[in-house]
Amino acid sequence: MFIEALLVALWVTWAIIDEQTFQFQTTRPLVTGMAVGLILGDLKTGLLVGATVELMFLATVFVGTAVPPDPTVSCAIATAFAIMTGKGTDIAVATALPVALIGQVVTTLQLSIVNVFFIHRGDRYASEANFKKLTLMNTLPLLLNLLFYGLPTFLAVYYGPTYVTPYIEMIPDKIIQGFAVGGGMIGAVGFALLLNSIQATHLWPYFLIGFIVSAYLGINILGIGLIAVALVTLHSYYTEGKDNTKAESNF
Amino acid sequence: MSRNNETNKLTRKELWSIYFRQIFIRSALNFERHQAMGFANSMIPVIRKYYDTKEEQAEALKRHMELFLTQPMVSAIPVGIAAAMEERYATKKDIEPESINAVKTALMGPLAALGDSLINGTLRPLLAGFGIALAMKGSIAGPLIFLIGMTIITLGVRYYGVFKGYEGGAKMVEDLHKSGLISKLSELSAVAAYVVIGGFIPQIVNMKTTIEYTAGEAVINLQETLDGLIPGILPLGITILMYYLLTRKKASPILLMVLVMLFGVVGVYLNILG
Repeated sequence: MFIEALLVALWVTWAIIDEQTFQFQTTRPLVTGMAVGLILGDLKTGLLVGATVELMFLATVFVGTAVPPDPTVSCAIATAFAIMTGKGTDIAVATALPVALIGQVVTTLQLSIVNVFFIHRGDRYASEANFKKLTLMNTLPLLLNLLFYGLPTFLAVYYGPTYVTPYIEMIPDKIIQGFAVGGGMIGAVGFALLLNSIQATHLWPYFLIGFIVSAYLGINILGIGLIAVALVTLHSYYTEGKDNTKAESNF
Repeated sequence: MSRNNETNKLTRKELWSIYFRQIFIRSALNFERHQAMGFANSMIPVIRKYYDTKEEQAEALKRHMELFLTQPMVSAIPVGIAAAMEERYATKKDIEPESINAVKTALMGPLAALGDSLINGTLRPLLAGFGIALAMKGSIAGPLIFLIGMTIITLGVRYYGVFKGYEGGAKMVEDLHKSGLISKLSELSAVAAYVVIGGFIPQIVNMKTTIEYTAGEAVINLQETLDGLIPGILPLGITILMYYLLTRKKASPILLMVLVMLFGVVGVYLNILG
């Protein structure tokens, strides 16, 4: 179990580093669930938990300066718990949110205290024109992810299931079911956040069109993407040559 | 002192070096000046090439240690443009150094709006939604397609930003503003994001009521009644409620998530949600 817990912790550390650099999106639950499932030898549960947690946090992303709940550590631990306790996705949903909130606090501390220290050191090396040290100050924070995210993940996966399983047994079924229902609705907060990030609010009727084709006609996700392409093209055609200052004034 | 090298442009190799450094633009993200150090770090190949004295190099580095924040992938565009402007300032001295930061600052907001709508609001949810559907059926292709798609997007956008931004230089900013291209693209991205978000809500937000009531003899299921009137009204309603609490009541997203979770538990106990 030691090796597996270590591998999960290393995956989480890599995923967080990815989010802070390349952004291949290994940080997303969809991918992390798959990876943890592979590590723990239960790909099917990994895919299911990953998809379920992704639904919770689909629209919850880093926009501007608002740190979102952490989707990576939460999905990794939730997947591990689901597989190791044998309780499946419901327990995963119940685990994911509290862990995501703790992860968010860690990220906030990292960005408001730890990395502020690094940029102050960076200032010093900038005024000395010391390129190598400046690059080092810009890169070192990545290593600390091992401490901030990797270590807690290791401890949770290695010790967690043994200690947590008896308590999980004690939770009434109705509460677990309630968490699953709550987890199903939680995506609404993410979509509200995304809606809030769109600045050209005068275009809201397109939101209604998207809703109608999806809810009434049951067109699937790929179809919605195609409709978006069509509407973008039409919008572009009909606004060609028109003054765009209205959109610009929103910035 | 600048070198006498008016025709000495950045080489492909140096541009690739900037590209690789740009990937680290937010590795030291912080709440004081956000991506400032990542930006300064991206400028090192330019500064090393065009400034000889320590004083000039320090001055240029400090210039880029000023606050900078935009969507990380599209931040490659101002990185490319700033590289071109630094080169021009160092070799020709016909622009003000202050104008470099002015251009960066002017691009931050519009590019953030564009990047957030296009990538976070449209492309990523679409690919993820597609991936989720496959993963739910137990297919590993779901996460893999999502991962490959996003890898192409993140590497491609950054390549375009650094190389085209450098090629276009300060003129690109002028062109972008004159033709209203950024605001036009932002508007089109907003159209796509609205369609996708509106379309996703009834399929991704899962909320159903189990309330039943009797009308005369018949037992009527409220959810079926709602589905007959406006399918997806509950997911839409809760999203609009969250949007209202978020924007008008300034509620924190975390608080809202916890409340939604509790609402789920209470709903199950009261037998109104399931």
